[in-house]
Amino acid sequence: MSKIKRGKNIVSVPSSLDYLKEVDEFVETRLKSAGLDENKLADVAISVAEAVTNAVVHGNKCNLKKRVQVELKIESPRIIIKVQDQGNGFDPQNIGSPLEGNNVLKEAGRGIFILKSLMDEVDFSFEPEGGTVVRMVKYIKK
Amino acid sequence: MDFTVNEKNGVMVISPQGKIMGGPDATKLHDKLLELISQDKKRIVIDLSQVDWMNSTGLSILISAFIAIRDNQGELKLANVTERIGKLLEITRLTKVFEKFESVEKAVQSFG
Repeated sequence: MSKIKRGKNIVSVPSSLDYLKEVDEFVETRLKSAGLDENKLADVAISVAEAVTNAVVHGNKCNLKKRVQVELKIESPRIIIKVQDQGNGFDPQNIGSPLEGNNVLKEAGRGIFILKSLMDEVDFSFEPEGGTVVRMVKYIKK
Repeated sequence: MDFTVNEKNGVMVISPQGKIMGGPDATKLHDKLLELISQDKKRIVIDLSQVDWMNSTGLSILISAFIAIRDNQGELKLANVTERIGKLLEITRLTKVFEKFESVEKAVQSFG
């Protein structure tokens, strides 16, 4: 199985953070044609890095036999990104706030909070055969 | 992402360049910071002027080093926090945790 699979709107990588750079290059290359300003482009790139990190580490538990797929569509006036893993899912309601008490200085637990802060819409769905899909939307002009 | 390490007036200045987002490069930066602290370096400045952006992995590295050096009776300070990184520190309420300076020189001088 090839390590990185690329399509026009899709990139798929094995479950290792070693491939974050390739995913980021795919995202930034696609976004440069979308007319996003630099700050919004960074918001999307950071959010994709967060979602892919979660998918690799928490979803697929760094199992290299499992993959993470990123789909990016530019449907003006918005950019829609889906990040899908092959893990067992999680309860989005069961995630503590990184802003509460001692959580501020915890080393982990900010990923979902950050992507919710930087993107205009974020939702989670769970595939019947396993796998979490994080769907994120950024409006090009807002 | 790459980084340089320099010493200025007894203060270690770490200057990462690019994006801090996890993966092998971020691990190297994290390891270097912890190595310096384990060598009993008690004054560290992280110069963020050349960092395009960071995600929660970058924040984790800053927090981990901040706690490790504080536990060793040292201090870690930030210099040249860009607007983009400042926004991330703000939304995660970490802006009050880190002491920030507008230049490396001012951060180095602040150690006295």
